[in-house]
Amino acid sequence: MIEVLDSGALTSVQDVIGRPAWRHLGMPAGGAADAWSARLANRLVGNPDEAPLLEMTSIGPTLRIEATATVALVGRFEASVDGLPFPADAGRTVRAGSVVRIGAGEDGRGYLAFGGGLAVEAVLGSAATDLRTGFGGFEGRALRAGDRLTLGVSAAGRPMRWVGARVGGPIRLVAGLHPDSVPPDALTGSDWQVSALADRTGVRLDGPGITTSLAEVPSMGLPVGAVQVPPDGRPIVMLADRPVTGGYPVPAVVIGADVGRVARLRTGDHVTFTPVSLDAARSALRRAEAELAALETLEGPGNDELGWAGSHR
Amino acid sequence: MNVVRPFGEAALLVEAADAPAAQALAAALRREPPDGVTAVVPGRASVLVELDALTLDVGAVRDALARVPVTPAEDRGRLRTFPVVYGGVHGPDLDDVAEWAGLAPADVVELHASTELRVLFCGFAPGFAYLGDVPVQLAVPRLATPRSITPVGSVALADGMSGIYPADLPGGWQVIGRTPRALFDVRRDPPTYLVPGDRVRFEPIRVEDWDARAGVASDW
Repeated sequence: MIEVLDSGALTSVQDVIGRPAWRHLGMPAGGAADAWSARLANRLVGNPDEAPLLEMTSIGPTLRIEATATVALVGRFEASVDGLPFPADAGRTVRAGSVVRIGAGEDGRGYLAFGGGLAVEAVLGSAATDLRTGFGGFEGRALRAGDRLTLGVSAAGRPMRWVGARVGGPIRLVAGLHPDSVPPDALTGSDWQVSALADRTGVRLDGPGITTSLAEVPSMGLPVGAVQVPPDGRPIVMLADRPVTGGYPVPAVVIGADVGRVARLRTGDHVTFTPVSLDAARSALRRAEAELAALETLEGPGNDELGWAGSHR
Repeated sequence: MNVVRPFGEAALLVEAADAPAAQALAAALRREPPDGVTAVVPGRASVLVELDALTLDVGAVRDALARVPVTPAEDRGRLRTFPVVYGGVHGPDLDDVAEWAGLAPADVVELHASTELRVLFCGFAPGFAYLGDVPVQLAVPRLATPRSITPVGSVALADGMSGIYPADLPGGWQVIGRTPRALFDVRRDPPTYLVPGDRVRFEPIRVEDWDARAGVASDW
């Protein structure tokens, strides 16, 4: 059992399954906005990739862990367990009664996974919270102080540490469906800033307005990462909660390997884009998948309450 | 041969002649998905086909999609009839629509209620069905200023289509009436009352009959 002492800015139960097969009825695909990081967090506590976990936004929650549990943080957030530093990218056993506090940091979105996963009722095949319509996850809403979450039965998997490397640099784009609707370097030749209006629907970017030769297009399904340019000329990178169909031109698509990087951006962050080929995009996805497997078991004291045992009990 | 275009490195867009063709294509792909197809999303005149980009020979999928025959649906689709209170507080844009069309409001109602529409595709929100095509006199543009909340059940017009809001949602469509019928319930199977291919008609009712006709249709 986990008690929410402070909810943080926007913390919700998500999984990487989402509801992609229900889009023909208007349901957004949903699920973790940064699926790569969510999968990593789950692997660090020995869970299957699809286990339900917490998605945090800008400021994380404060949680009391009522029974000993394995926990992992993925994301650059200030984090502590009973006041002692709680490093990211490694699973840790946290003892009964401990308080996990996640603050703010350089990432706008991150994940907390618990061994056994969060026990929530699946709705339409997923534990993901649909925040806009209000169903799924924990009571169809973001967490609030006082909420109590139950953990599932822990799988046999052991806590792990990630030893991979994250990618930096400009966000990579491939051509979208309407590449000629904007000047060739409209996206790649400018600096952009993440608007305060960014959310799980999409990351809106402030910068020089882009003039499109098409005001609207026939409504069509949108892949995640699609960069829409609405009439106001400010591009939006569409994320997990994007509406199923869109009617604005899509000159480019953020490559799959970089969608998570966009989902981790904070308000005000600077963004630049660079074009890559479809083949390069697929190679990047394969590399990202390989990096996700760069795990080692924690040997010796690292597998237990490192540095905490006896220090303050 | 269908026109198939890349849409990012993990999706293809198959163009279709119209919405019924898109639905038929989507249904065919769901029944027998080519290897590597993970999801199928029909649109106004296209089908988005998502792929497993990791293990895939995209060229082979593209060829397979180009060759999928599009055979129109054999059944005429289920008929759904919605009771609607037109005008007044439930249809705040009815007078504007009438003025745009050069018709009396009662004629707008008569025209809307006498037209059988089809669910072309769903999008925007769970249970929002785009219904078309409406008669040209009702093909009004969107509102200049969208509403931050359009009440659940609102029956609206824009861009040659009609739609019913399945929840309180922001919206730019012109609202001519409101139905007391539910359109979305995540616990039901299916979770939406309307699915692509359904036929839809509207039945004017009096506001006094709202409660009697409210809630979940017996044929959900």
